Formats: sequence, C-alpha cells, structure tokens
Amino acid sequence: MTPEFLLGLGILIIGVIAAAFPDPKTYLNRLINLEISGFGLLLVMLSYNETLALLTFIAVTAITTFVLVRVLERRAIN
Amino acid sequence: MILSFTDDYSFGLLIGFVCILIAFFAMMKETDDLHRLLLTDVIEIIALVIIALIGTDLAEALILPGLVVGIAEILALAEIYIEKEGLVKTPENFLKIEIMDTAPGILSAIMLIYGVILSGFTGGAVAGLGLLFYFLCRGSQKKTQILETISGYAWVCWVVAFIVFMTIPQYWFFAVMLAGTGIFAKVAAKMTIVGTMRGNRDV
Repeated sequence: MTPEFLLGLGILIIGVIAAAFPDPKTYLNRLINLEISGFGLLLVMLSYNETLALLTFIAVTAITTFVLVRVLERRAIN
Repeated sequence: MILSFTDDYSFGLLIGFVCILIAFFAMMKETDDLHRLLLTDVIEIIALVIIALIGTDLAEALILPGLVVGIAEILALAEIYIEKEGLVKTPENFLKIEIMDTAPGILSAIMLIYGVILSGFTGGAVAGLGLLFYFLCRGSQKKTQILETISGYAWVCWVVAFIVFMTIPQYWFFAVMLAGTGIFAKVAAKMTIVGTMRGNRDV
C-alpha cells in the first residue's frame, strides 16, 4: 500500500461524509465538499498510474462544476 | 474469494462500500431535488473509485466512458431540473457583431477544406468547428435536417467498414478509409449541432 493510496482513501471517506452531511446545509457548501472526495479519487488514480483517466477526470470535474453552478445560480435568482 | 483486507484491492473495496452506504443513506434522507442532484455526483465519484481500484489498463478504459456518461447524466438532470422548476430564462439579445455577417462564408470554407485534407477525428473536429462558426453566425432554419442525414450516413460507413473487417479482412485498407470518412462526418456533424443551439425556433 503506497502512501498516496491510503491518503486517497482517507480523503475519499472524509469527503463523502462531508458531502453527505454538510454542516450549514446549503447547496454551495455541498458543492465545495464534493471536491474533497474528488481529490481522494485523484490520489487513488495517481497511485495506480492511471494518467489518462486522471487528466480526463480533472477536465470533466471543471465542466460538472460549471453545470451545477449554473443551476444554483438560476435557483438563487428566482 | 476471501477478503483479507491486507491487500490494496480488498481494503479499497471495503472503504468504497462504506462510502456507498454513507452516500445512499444521505440520498435516502434527502428530499430536496437539487441536493439529490449534488449527491448523484458523490455516488459517481465512489463508482469511479471502485473501478480505479482494479488498477490496470482495463480500469482506465472503463473510467473514460464512465466520465462521459457521468457528465452527460449531470447535464441532462440539470436541464430537467431547470425545466421542472421553471427557471428557464430567455436571453434578451444574442451576440451580434459585424464580423459575423462578413466572415463565416470564407472562413468556414477554408476550415472545411483543411478538415477534409486532415481527415479522421482531427479533420472532423476542424471541419466541424468551421461549420459550427457558420451556423452560429447565419442561423439554422431548416438546415438541421441535413445534419441528421450526414450523421446517418456516417453510421452506415462505420457499419459497412466493420462488416468488411470481419468478413473480408484482406480489404482492410478500404475499411480503414471508410471508417475514417465515417468518423470525419460524425464528428463534424456533432460539432455543428453545437452551432445551431442559438435558441432558434426549430431547436
């Protein structure tokens, strides 16, 4: 077990708990907590040398954030 | 299979299942739709971790389509949510600058020709970008029909190429060319569709 693998799993479980039960239960808070578990996944991919998957995940996360922030923004205005 | 929790895979799988339990418990307790949409993303990440644990090229090959499906799912659910809650807003005015009246013809023609020369996936992207620009500037009444036709012909090219590969492999070069043409038309058509998304009546 490499250090980044253990760290990745640790961050993953922390991130999932943080995203599942955010303390002030707002949309934005949950969206930010999502990134923590994303980092866990990135570290797990890093420990297995899955370069292509890692880079694609970074790109897709950016797009996902755009999409979700757009929905949140629409919701906040109305 | 005996899970020992000492090797990477079993240990990671254990953590993954704990995460799944937490995420689905939160999903079960949640009543707000937008919160549920955000939780869907958490579940997607956990699913990707479980695939990544395999740690081979196969895992990588499975993660890439997983990511594409994930982003498509988030996009579709976000649109459905916006539609359901009535949060749709129509923009007051579209982008209108002079260059959009003069440039599209020549520029998209150049990009289309260069794309045909490049061929394959890259050529499709270049030609598609040219067509995207054209449709973006000129509007797209009645023109979307032809895109669907092109897309259909691209599928036919692929299927024929596949059958040639399988049945008469000695004509592989013909099949490669056919598949190259197919992917060129497919990518170009798909990118052109983006150019037609300007809120016209038929889109």
